Amino acid sequence: MDYNGGTVLAMAGKNCVVVGSDKRLGVQNLTLSTEFQKVFPVTEKCYIALPGLATDVQTLSELFRLKCNMYKLREEREIEPLTLANMISSTLYGRRFGPYFCEPIIAGLDKNNKPHIYGMDLIGCLNFPDDFAVAGCAEAALFGMCESLWEPDLEPDELFETASQALLSAADRNSIVGWGAVIHTM
Amino acid sequence: MEFLLGMTGKDFTLTISDTAATRSIIVFKNDEDKSLELNKHVLMLYSGSPGDTLHFAEYIQRNVKLYEIKNGIELTPKATATFTRREMATSLRSRKPYNVNLLIAGYDVTTSLPHLYWIDHLGTNATMPYAAHGYGAFYTLGILDKYHRPDISLDEAKAIAKKCIEELKTRFFINLSGFKVKVSDKDGIREIEI
Amino acid sequence: MSDRYSFSLTTFSPSGKLVQIEYALNAVAQGVTSIGIKATNGIVIATEKKTASPLIDDTSLEKVANVCPNIGIVYSGMGPDFRVLLAKARKAAQKYKRIYNEYPTTGILVKDVASVMQEFTQSGGVRPFGVSLLIAGYDETGPVLYQVDPSGSYWAWKASAIGKNMINAKTFLEKRYNDDIELEDAVHTSILTLKEGFEGQMTEHSIEIGIIGGGTTGFTEGKEQPLFRKLSPSEVRDYLANIS
Repeated sequence: MDYNGGTVLAMAGKNCVVVGSDKRLGVQNLTLSTEFQKVFPVTEKCYIALPGLATDVQTLSELFRLKCNMYKLREEREIEPLTLANMISSTLYGRRFGPYFCEPIIAGLDKNNKPHIYGMDLIGCLNFPDDFAVAGCAEAALFGMCESLWEPDLEPDELFETASQALLSAADRNSIVGWGAVIHTM
Repeated sequence: MEFLLGMTGKDFTLTISDTAATRSIIVFKNDEDKSLELNKHVLMLYSGSPGDTLHFAEYIQRNVKLYEIKNGIELTPKATATFTRREMATSLRSRKPYNVNLLIAGYDVTTSLPHLYWIDHLGTNATMPYAAHGYGAFYTLGILDKYHRPDISLDEAKAIAKKCIEELKTRFFINLSGFKVKVSDKDGIREIEI
Repeated sequence: MSDRYSFSLTTFSPSGKLVQIEYALNAVAQGVTSIGIKATNGIVIATEKKTASPLIDDTSLEKVANVCPNIGIVYSGMGPDFRVLLAKARKAAQKYKRIYNEYPTTGILVKDVASVMQEFTQSGGVRPFGVSLLIAGYDETGPVLYQVDPSGSYWAWKASAIGKNMINAKTFLEKRYNDDIELEDAVHTSILTLKEGFEGQMTEHSIEIGIIGGGTTGFTEGKEQPLFRKLSPSEVRDYLANIS
């Protein structure tokens, strides 16, 4: 989990959610790339953030893209955030005894535009927070930042600012996290 | 101890690989070519466990060639790198994973853009303007941070390559005995002197 | 290996027909009639329950069944074949829930069942199923009623009939059906339709009725949704009393 660095967070606001990550890819203390993607779109209104071992981040992003495309073709509808979270959870638990080293966070709006945030560990144990979810190398620092900055019913631009400041400050305290960041607002 | 480096320029990708074939503390050979042409425009550089390296590289090369025979089109550098990463990631969770690190350097004739992909033995694939494997990365990435620009000419790239090799010769305590420099551009892949 | 058939028994005749499938449909046409009617607020599926002898304990017979909480099923044709399909359908629903932690929509379940039935028209060493199915479900997309045939083809209906008396029953339904029928009326209509070709006395023990919608809801995984349920003999008796 600490090999390639990287961290992610998601926050819920009033009829909106944000999800973001840093952009660093490294091998321990050596930074290799500052353009590494860790947040992946699933639908217009739902994203998966994948922190952890970079190879598994890529393997899982490809796997979930496949599964969501197949879902869309089969069911003729977009997958809902809760359904997606359960699908990811059961996929990870399927590898209970040889897990992918990745702790996904799912953030999105459902068909009624209600915000959803889900977090889970590397074997798919789901969490249902209604404020924020954090994961990755700067998880501890992010918890502290989110705990003090987050407040209920933030508007999209306020939520973006809150999440940005939390992520930037947490990244500054961690040597293998940072080098740019990205936030998606829904 | 092996060293691989690649950098993209305006309309080419330049690569450096060391030429030492070693085992433990013995140098067997100092004109080893640690690269394989996957197709006319895509070059794969490899380092890692001897045996694994060439075996894996040839396996990729043959599958890339097979694709081209079957479908009658050349794979782009991006498609090649994606395929290679998948094979590496599958191997990681097999009974005996390959211990190979790779650089995939190429020129995409469909978009006329140079490409460089860094793939490690875990199957991490990242596209970068310049990248390196091995201890040499610690010495050379700083030089590239300072001098590299995305639009450098081949002469400028050669000058940076020279700086990197000089640095290794003066600051790295192992003598890497020799380097091969190759370029991939619209005309294909060729070895150059610097 | 050469001592068993490994090719499909369902093969094309020179005229391009698959006679095995037509024979399967004949088996369905010999089965007792089943009715399905979609109402504005739910669906009813109903069938006759005929026993070969008065000595058979008909409480042990089940022709209308639950696939999952929000989907019910009824058949015409061969009982044993139906039980195989019911088991497969239930398993498919549970498998879906194991992945997504919610039950499949009716459309998805029907696709799964239909693809099983199609496989049995093309695989080696097997024969097509001798049943047609009516599958009723209620989900976010509203109430839907599907019919699945031995060939694996399926359609969504407003109202349909399968089995021995299907032609008369469909004619009857075409006359009686209107787009704003409510579930209560639909139950009545289904009983009347069954009565059309019914031999002997119709009692609460000789027909089976299942409904979904019309206020029958329940909580599954914290979500309130319509539930499929079979009408008890006393409920059926009340409906029958209202008719005559």
